Amino acid sequence: MIGSSAPLSLTVHLAWVSSISFGGFPTVLPDVRNFVVGTNRWMTNQEFANLFAMAQSIPGPNMILMMSLVGWKVWGFPGALASAFATLGPPCAMYFTAYRLWDRFRAAPWQRVLRVGLAPVVVGLVIASGTVMAHTADNSWQAVAVTIATAAITLVTRLNPMWMLLAGGILGGLEFLE
Amino acid sequence: MTDLEQAEKVEQAVDPGALFTAFLKISLCGVGGGTGIVWARRVAVENRRWITDGEFTDIISLCQFMPGPNIIGIAVCVGAKMRGAIGAIAALCGFLVIPWTVGLSLGLLYLQYANLIALRNILGGIATSAAGLLIATGVRLLKPHHHRPASLLFATLAFSLITLGKLPLFAVLFSLVPLSILVAGIENARAR
Repeated sequence: MIGSSAPLSLTVHLAWVSSISFGGFPTVLPDVRNFVVGTNRWMTNQEFANLFAMAQSIPGPNMILMMSLVGWKVWGFPGALASAFATLGPPCAMYFTAYRLWDRFRAAPWQRVLRVGLAPVVVGLVIASGTVMAHTADNSWQAVAVTIATAAITLVTRLNPMWMLLAGGILGGLEFLE
Repeated sequence: MTDLEQAEKVEQAVDPGALFTAFLKISLCGVGGGTGIVWARRVAVENRRWITDGEFTDIISLCQFMPGPNIIGIAVCVGAKMRGAIGAIAALCGFLVIPWTVGLSLGLLYLQYANLIALRNILGGIATSAAGLLIATGVRLLKPHHHRPASLLFATLAFSLITLGKLPLFAVLFSLVPLSILVAGIENARAR
């Protein structure tokens, strides 16, 4: 049952989890699922899973869209809008303030040390998330080959990545990656 | 003209409209989940030359330590760098307004067909290529650091703890970053 206080409680909850979603919004998805599916029963587990699959596949701000669709389910268009603002408002304010501070001390020696120390860890994490994604997406040797070929082509040429995504989509659609 | 003056000149030339379009493009290209960073680098570093690879890595570092969707952080930071608060808002709007409207309508339609097998296969194929793109972007970002052994070590450690160690991101960040900064600090003190 969707009560009259549902929109407000969803908005407040999203604003809260987005403020603590260190490492990206996917880290708090399990919590959102518990809140929406478990505690409040606004949708079924399957509906939530479908929303996730869809959000991953359409261009644009995936997680914000996913939360907007959850909001839509609870309160129509106003709910979608409220959820979008709740999801992106708090992090945006923090990003802006943090960048301003970072920029102000750009010339400071301690910042150079921080930068040299931070960069390799973060770069390692980017490569790792690509690998983890490949692990989830690649269920056959053909799929692994496509991932490796895409990485190699990207490194060697300046070909627009869109062609490679298109090729991946076509190969997948023709069931070459089974 | 000094480098600094030159840099300021370039920054003044960027108008909010350009930031809006650039981030609209990044947003629309980011199919497949997780590839936003690939396009953000391609547009902001390679095509428009607004920032260098080093500054790009800086911005991602900063965003890693903040809550929220990191790609939003990239829009806010690049916008703020080029044009202050107005730039941040312009980049953010470019990234969000049109894609959000289109995405929401598509999403409501899509939900009806979420179980279609052909659609799933296509999306699976896109994800396969997207993973390769992400790996290549990481390798590109690593290039400026390849002559510093400690950088290679910490990049390898971060990579292995996530993929082989299966540790949560939070644990990896808060164990490796202090160590890595400590090593950088020691190097810095020695160099003086």
